[in-house]
Amino acid sequence: MAALSEEVLLVVKRVRQRKQDGTLYLMAERIAWGPEGKDRFTVSHLYADIRCQKISPDGKAKIQLQLVLHTGESTNLHFSNESTALKDRDAAKDLLQQLLPKFKKRANKELEEKNRMLQEDPVLFQLYKDLVVCQVISAEEFWANRLSINNVDHSLSNNKQEVGISAAFLADIRPQTDGCNGLRYNLTSDIIESIFRTYPAVKQKYGENVPHNMTEKEFWTRFFQSHYFHRDRINTGLQDIFSECAKQDEKGLKSMVFQGVKNPMVDLLSLEDKSLDEGYGSNSTAPSTSNTNKTVKENSNSAIIKRFNHHSTMVLAAGSGKKADAPNGQACETSSTDGNSRDSDFFQPPIKKALTLYDGTESQTVCFLSKRNVIEYEDLHRENGKKTVALNLKKSDSVLSGSALCTASCAIAALSPGGVLMQALAQQAINQMVPNDVQGELKHLYTAAGELLRHFWSCFPVNTLFLEEKVVKMRSNLERFQMTKLRPFQEKVQRQYLSTNLTGHLEDMFQMAYNKFHAWQTRRMMRKT
Amino acid sequence: MKLNIEGLLVYFPYDYIYPEQYSYMLELKRTLDAKGHGVLEMPSGTGKTISLLSLIVAYQREYPLEVTKLIYCSRTVPEIEKVVEELRKLMEFYSKETGEKNNILALALSSRKNLCVHPEVSSLRFGKEVDGKCHSLTASYIRAQRHSNPSLPSCRFYEEFDAMGKQVPLPAGVYNLDDLKDFGRRKGWCPYYLARYSILHANIIVYSYHYLLDPKIADLVSKELSKKSVVVFDEAHNIDNVCIDSMSVNITRRTLDRSQANVETLQNTILKIKETDAAKLKEEYRRLVEGLKEANVARETDIYMSNPVLPDEILQEAVPGSIRTAEHFVGFMKRFLEYLKARLRIHHVVQESAPQFLKDIFEKVCIDRKPLRFCAERLRSLLRTLEIADIADFSAITLISNFATLVSTYSKGFTIIIEPFEDRTPTIANPVLHFSCMDPSIAIKPVFERFQSVIITSGTLSPLDIYPRILDFRPVTVASFTMTLARTCLCPLVVGRGNDQVAMTSKFETREDFAVIRNYGNLLLEMSAIVPDGIVAFFTSYTYMENIVASWYEQGILENVQRNKLIFIETPDAAETSMALEKYQEACENGRGAILLSVARGKVSEGIDFVHHFGRAVIMFGVPYVYTQSRILKARLEYLRDQFQIRENDFLTFDAMRHAAQCVGRAIRGKTDYGLMIFADKRYARADKRGKLPRWIQEHLTDGSLNLTIDETVQLSKHFLRQMAHSIHDISNCNVQCFCQLNLSQEDQLGLSLLTLEQLQSEDMLQKIAQIAHQA
Repeated sequence: MAALSEEVLLVVKRVRQRKQDGTLYLMAERIAWGPEGKDRFTVSHLYADIRCQKISPDGKAKIQLQLVLHTGESTNLHFSNESTALKDRDAAKDLLQQLLPKFKKRANKELEEKNRMLQEDPVLFQLYKDLVVCQVISAEEFWANRLSINNVDHSLSNNKQEVGISAAFLADIRPQTDGCNGLRYNLTSDIIESIFRTYPAVKQKYGENVPHNMTEKEFWTRFFQSHYFHRDRINTGLQDIFSECAKQDEKGLKSMVFQGVKNPMVDLLSLEDKSLDEGYGSNSTAPSTSNTNKTVKENSNSAIIKRFNHHSTMVLAAGSGKKADAPNGQACETSSTDGNSRDSDFFQPPIKKALTLYDGTESQTVCFLSKRNVIEYEDLHRENGKKTVALNLKKSDSVLSGSALCTASCAIAALSPGGVLMQALAQQAINQMVPNDVQGELKHLYTAAGELLRHFWSCFPVNTLFLEEKVVKMRSNLERFQMTKLRPFQEKVQRQYLSTNLTGHLEDMFQMAYNKFHAWQTRRMMRKT
Repeated sequence: MKLNIEGLLVYFPYDYIYPEQYSYMLELKRTLDAKGHGVLEMPSGTGKTISLLSLIVAYQREYPLEVTKLIYCSRTVPEIEKVVEELRKLMEFYSKETGEKNNILALALSSRKNLCVHPEVSSLRFGKEVDGKCHSLTASYIRAQRHSNPSLPSCRFYEEFDAMGKQVPLPAGVYNLDDLKDFGRRKGWCPYYLARYSILHANIIVYSYHYLLDPKIADLVSKELSKKSVVVFDEAHNIDNVCIDSMSVNITRRTLDRSQANVETLQNTILKIKETDAAKLKEEYRRLVEGLKEANVARETDIYMSNPVLPDEILQEAVPGSIRTAEHFVGFMKRFLEYLKARLRIHHVVQESAPQFLKDIFEKVCIDRKPLRFCAERLRSLLRTLEIADIADFSAITLISNFATLVSTYSKGFTIIIEPFEDRTPTIANPVLHFSCMDPSIAIKPVFERFQSVIITSGTLSPLDIYPRILDFRPVTVASFTMTLARTCLCPLVVGRGNDQVAMTSKFETREDFAVIRNYGNLLLEMSAIVPDGIVAFFTSYTYMENIVASWYEQGILENVQRNKLIFIETPDAAETSMALEKYQEACENGRGAILLSVARGKVSEGIDFVHHFGRAVIMFGVPYVYTQSRILKARLEYLRDQFQIRENDFLTFDAMRHAAQCVGRAIRGKTDYGLMIFADKRYARADKRGKLPRWIQEHLTDGSLNLTIDETVQLSKHFLRQMAHSIHDISNCNVQCFCQLNLSQEDQLGLSLLTLEQLQSEDMLQKIAQIAHQA
């Protein structure tokens, strides 16, 4: 079972789905459920696909967990182990609660990242249009290798824009009655973050108490029960852990007030030039407004007013202050791509070296993935370099975007005397014979084909089921590309320039791939029979 | 540009002029010509200050013998600074145009707190501390003592100034507070005393009201100012209250206790001095026999401005024998204190007039009227003789002595109210004796009498006729100017009903009504959704705001408002409010948008401007009537009715409407500004309320914008805001005092609300201008 190589974080037995008993697995990247006695999953969701989870109310007889997907579908899981059902459910819920936000963020981030890459790189965009928009390959396949490459260098320049805080975040926690004299507060990770950013004192308390002294749930329950959350903060009991927070807030507010304001236009204290001395004036009945002769109601009213001022100030500060402790958890979160890249270490994507061929006019780029191939080629280069002067080879470390990929053998074939490239070079410079628009089109074709071939070759060696499927698919993709893109171009070229065989090299590359596929397929058939 | 105002050449430091400015200058010139007083109303943001300054300066140059000095009184320190900056611009223009260096000296004066450069003293936070500390370093006898004992601390800035500063006058130029400080630091002179000394020969003085209206300060600072001065009270809509405040006294038990302690200190000091230096006391006695002749001579020869606390009669007489010796005086004060204490021991409210009080005091403790009148002067003399450094400590006994003098001097215009407890807390005994001035003309009378022209001006003085009546003077010009606008940039709306048709009003009977509060909340919520950036909302009183905020909180309205904007609320604490204000502006600045809940008559409504995006809408919840149950107010209303034939209701409405106008006017500070003015009370629709709004607001209040529902208001507001958002163009250099970033382009305004010199000279424009001034 291929999926077993994934890390399993939690296994819950006796979970029913559609009236079928089974086992629930929470893995690093997805949640899955398989019926009892079978060794495959009938339900499997990537965390990134899950919009939210819902749980049945505490009092209910059936203890359930519902997963709602972004597509709107939902899956109900019923925990049926009588004695531990509640515990199981909560364990699953808590773990999900931790996992989901991570993936949610990643999903958004990925989308943004893709968008950015496309915008920044016109060649890539063209490629995307050629391949994905024309449905030669799926978007997922297109991005499969790209993102992981780019993730590395982009996490370095992590210029994530910070999100402000809604002033009404406390209002968004709509308490609901659950029908039996209780209140339910709905907390999301966003709200929790807002609370922490607005009230650092609460965050500190959280750090101190969770999970040593109490569970997260208990913490928030206490938070909501506390007067700190409610309006009259005057009567905070001593045993309340939040009474200290209230005091800290008070202190913070006082110190802010004491610092005074910078803008003299709003400084009410220095506005008056000469205030009346004490005892003069018509309606100043001596500021004897000590707390003693204020009623409780008035006190709580002014507490509300203070709180609003404080709250707004903190929200404002949280929104504008560039905090130094930017979430650095993101930096190390460079997601590894799907299964194939891990297994196929032979074709590990990071490209260390690339060789660029210059012929003075048209630049063809051939890039080699495998280190071994590069070395081979370098050897060849040494030999060739002596013989042929026309070929000007230059080594470069940079990866050119849209680089075409082919195996060394293919390149050697093309570059050897009598090969397609050499032919072209031996003839006159290509730019003198072919108009610019055709050249451009050819370039696009090359990059697109290169991309497809890269996908194709990256499937070898085919040692997983997934790769098997992929290689078959890629082959059909190649065929489709040849039919829809290459053929029309060839016809067009032939109509105009009968003599030059511009696409010969491309066709060779395709042929090479077909051969390889054929060889692999026959080998597989042989093994099967 | 150079203007010709009825034959007077006026340099105006801008290339363009608003028609109303021209008209304003015309009226001002006529007032000065007639050597009379004037009441002029012109909306804020139309350049009142520069019009005033350029005309009066031109007048001063043209007729140097007629007008020697301009005394410009404003309310707050930032306003004072703004005036000085305008003046600087004007002076630069003068020297550029005429090519010669002008020899006008203009300076701002403020309290020690704002001017002190002494490293230790200036670091103190409160004005009173600074004053006290300064006094302890610079009082004359302290300095005399230093001759024998040089180790005593001194203020080198003052010493330097005293030694050198008076010989050479301050060089001509324009000095704001910082300039004075710089100059003082450079020379090593005390800027405060330098400024106080220099105002005697300065051509233009800019300072706050108190230096002229508060008799205690005016006596020190302003009494020697030349008679041929023009006095301008800017932002004068509240001037009557300033006058009343400066003459009213409150005495609590705490005051009496502290006075008691003061008297004891005095007694001990007298005993000590008697043993060591009896000659000093004798010398004082001799001086008191001679009376206050010097002061009398000075006043008669027209050098001093009269002081209402120091009435003419007592200047001619010697201090009565019963309080002439120090011990007798202290004994006298003790008796007086005991009497006051007994009066505070009551269980019901007492209200009486000054003669009744005098009669009672004579019957009970045999204190005569005459020695009481000399109390203030006698105490001052004693404090001087005893060489007490820190006068601030003796504020309580000074207060009592001032009260004694006032109560025995004025038989009319004051009332005494003794309340055993506050109305809200009848169980807690907190007796207070209010000695309340009801007649603002008493404090301002010396000003009108002494100076040849007094101009009272503000953005909101309507109805104009009431000010001459309550201040008791006869103006030669009374005029109101409107704002000429290229686009209607203000949108006053009267919201009378909620969407459920329940009337919205802060009337006493219905203000706690659930529906009213909810509708107010809905209005705020709806507005918060459609108005960009800042909204300022004013309530009628602080308690009312507290209650409403609490019930909005309970109803969840504020939560919903928070989805749209941040909420900041004024508190009774000034420092806290300042912070809230700053954060409010920050929130408007960074685009988040905010709401400021504030109180009419509060500090925010009086002193803070909400230009441009800081206030795109002002909502006035209710009519800000003063708390009518107060006995002081009742007494004042009675007095107004009896003395000035002003009906109670007229005055109350006038007072409420001027505060409402002040509040909503906070948002419009210039022609390029725009804002909504929402009056959320159905009573505003009535003619008697509407008619008392300033003309420049009234003009835009059409019948279509009266008694709207919330929905209608939202529709009209949306329309208005959309219209305003369109016509914003590039930057132009218009002559409004506050320079604005978002301006109408000049072409849009030119010819309508902005004129070039050529346009100004055209015949029909002059005719149009004549219509702008609205003679009351």
